[in-house]
Amino acid sequence: MAGPPSGPLRLEALGAGGSYRARNRMDVTDVSGRSVAELSLVPSLFVNRTLRALRRTSPLPADERIGLIVRAAELFATSTLSGQSPEEYVHTVSRVGGVPISVVRRAMRTTAARLSRVYDSVQRARPAGTVNDWRDPLTRTGRGVWSRRGDVFAVHAAGNHPGPHSLWPEALALGWRVAVRPSRRDPFTPHRLITALRTAGFPDDQVVLLPTDHTQADSLVRGADLGMVYGGEDIVRKFAGDPTVLIQGPGRSKILLTADVDWRAHLDTIVDSVSGHGGTGCVNTTAIYMEGDPAPLCAALVERLSAPVGLPPEDEEAVLPVQPAAAARAIEAYLLRMAAGTRPWLGGDGIVEDLKDGGAALRPAIHQLDRPDAPQAGVELPFPCVWVAPWTPQDGVAPLRNSLVLNAITRDDRLIDRLIAEPTISNVYVGDHRTHFMESGLPHDGYLAEFLMRSKTIIRD
Amino acid sequence: MEWHFGPETGSPFWLERARTLEFDPRTDVKTHEDLKLFPNVAAELRNVRVEDLIPRGYGARPDAVGVFESGGTTGAPKRVVLLRDWLDRMLATSNANLDAHGFERGANWLGIVPTGPHIVGEYFRRSADTHGTRGFTIDLDPRWVKRLIAQGKGRDAGAYAEHLIDQAEFVLRSQDIGVLTITPSLLERLAQRDDLVELVNEKVHAIRWGGTQLDPDSRHLYRTEIFPGTVLCGNYGSTMILGMAGERPGLPDPGPCVFDAPSPYVTFSVVDPENLRTVGYGERGRVLVSHVSKSFLLPNNLERDLATRVAPPEDGVGDSVADIAPVAVFENETVIEGVY
Repeated sequence: MAGPPSGPLRLEALGAGGSYRARNRMDVTDVSGRSVAELSLVPSLFVNRTLRALRRTSPLPADERIGLIVRAAELFATSTLSGQSPEEYVHTVSRVGGVPISVVRRAMRTTAARLSRVYDSVQRARPAGTVNDWRDPLTRTGRGVWSRRGDVFAVHAAGNHPGPHSLWPEALALGWRVAVRPSRRDPFTPHRLITALRTAGFPDDQVVLLPTDHTQADSLVRGADLGMVYGGEDIVRKFAGDPTVLIQGPGRSKILLTADVDWRAHLDTIVDSVSGHGGTGCVNTTAIYMEGDPAPLCAALVERLSAPVGLPPEDEEAVLPVQPAAAARAIEAYLLRMAAGTRPWLGGDGIVEDLKDGGAALRPAIHQLDRPDAPQAGVELPFPCVWVAPWTPQDGVAPLRNSLVLNAITRDDRLIDRLIAEPTISNVYVGDHRTHFMESGLPHDGYLAEFLMRSKTIIRD
Repeated sequence: MEWHFGPETGSPFWLERARTLEFDPRTDVKTHEDLKLFPNVAAELRNVRVEDLIPRGYGARPDAVGVFESGGTTGAPKRVVLLRDWLDRMLATSNANLDAHGFERGANWLGIVPTGPHIVGEYFRRSADTHGTRGFTIDLDPRWVKRLIAQGKGRDAGAYAEHLIDQAEFVLRSQDIGVLTITPSLLERLAQRDDLVELVNEKVHAIRWGGTQLDPDSRHLYRTEIFPGTVLCGNYGSTMILGMAGERPGLPDPGPCVFDAPSPYVTFSVVDPENLRTVGYGERGRVLVSHVSKSFLLPNNLERDLATRVAPPEDGVGDSVADIAPVAVFENETVIEGVY
């Protein structure tokens, strides 16, 4: 296994004129507080000039850019890029973000697999009544042409898990020029991905990495034509109502178990929905709603979720997320404050397992709520943390609203009708499917292309 | 100290204030370091009558150029009186600094800087009149901008900034402007308009920035890519020092931007804010400012800026300061719900 790199990595900004080593640099530390990388931070002057440079260029021809993305996918997962092998990359992401190394490695492969099918993936979002190019003979008699809503797309990226970075390259596939502002917790994945895209042949002024100070983070999103922002409640509030920004907020994914099914047959799925991938995803289950007595389910979950032990994230056996001890304690204090008045089944007296090296693992938490509309059910935290609430058919859809994924384990087709009709539920998985199931070509929070593209009528002589 | 605490010459404010000091400034304050005996009285300048700030030694009809106020970021503004002899001294120092940077004498100046009660606007006019030929100005009210930003109306603040640049464009297009005085954030706005960048490169031979800080990466971009043939010169000033510290001339490009205080009248110390002890050379700390001139006394005023401590020029007193910046925040570290 690859050890930690000898000195701190130099992560430069990847600007429209090549990589840029800024005078203003930030120390990126791992979960033990050790310096791992030195990240160049660019000022808003640099951001704005870069966005203008992106706007001045034209996209590459469609087939060429798809070819380059496919090539980059291969490089991303298999090549040494900026002096870093794939295993060194995986190790670094794991050490800094605290995500178990096996999860990071899987995410790297999944990202490569998704990128290699990016054209198929975006084409599934294209309205059936449109064509891709005005030169299509169908436009001679009038036809919708699928067109970009702008030129420059900005991404204020996530750092919880490398997976979300498999999404924005769809914009590149559609001919957008893309600017990514990385998260402090994982600047490595977008840096590697953009380096791979450039190594494959994308010109520097097509896709850029612009790390900025927090105070200047908005200038990137505001300066682009459209933006996508990952964040918590604070980010949602800040950008709410801005039609040019696609907000990727808390997922609040849920499982519903009705009385006509036996939950015992689905226990593996439920456990993995809560804790798979380290439990740090927006697609991990935050709340379970159960028709009937939740106590036996809680007891079964305790048995299964008590098993994992806290290990450093780079340990191949690690399954729990790790954070710097102080951050872990802050999450624990928050959890305990929120959990007041609920029935603790697991983690009621704390969830922090000190790893004695400055880091701490976050152990699972299970709390039982006494009513379906208890506010705790919406508390999504970056570790396996689940709230189990009672539910009856009379409660209906209301408590299940605002879900990125709802796993309905039920045979009630009329209920399924209502769940699918509910606008605030993004995805409905019926039966034995993990809430973190995702596949290339399936919408995640709608298709990204729904946001990036529109249909225009073209008719010509 | 004899002047400021002598009953015939001191200001009513300091003579009154001296009664509550636990030391006698006339006997106990002998060196620059002894100034640290004084409490920071800056906050008291919010309520003092301006008449009480003028040393009695100036006589019954002191030559006061004007009354100026601090920005007002933290509550009510603090007031100071600018007297003629200090203004003349400050301008001579500042103009010599501009000469050393290669500012051509006799140019027309355009100022996009705070006006009204802000001393920077007054210094702009006086500098333009003495170093240059005449100054063109635009109204800029920084307090309104701060209020808009505090209320989360960033877009409105941006619209105001664009309004200022629009006005500057009329002057730049029609007049022979050789020197542009501007704040870093407005310079950034200007730099976003390619036609204005071209116009500035064509007409303006020197840009003087100040008011807030310019980060080293932006400074480098201006010097090398955006305004490569133009002199770029910063100044670090504040109302409370009644003037400014000019950028040290001849600094190499990769190095930090160093400001030398107009010592011995205005002096800087870079200190640990906890105990006000001076940090080592090359270390970061808060800027502690003292103004000790015939016209005004304000020792030990702790500014909010962070700076690197740099050795002063040969005959300088106190410290020089470099890489002035507010505290950086990359991400909110408090727990906010959600996994990102």
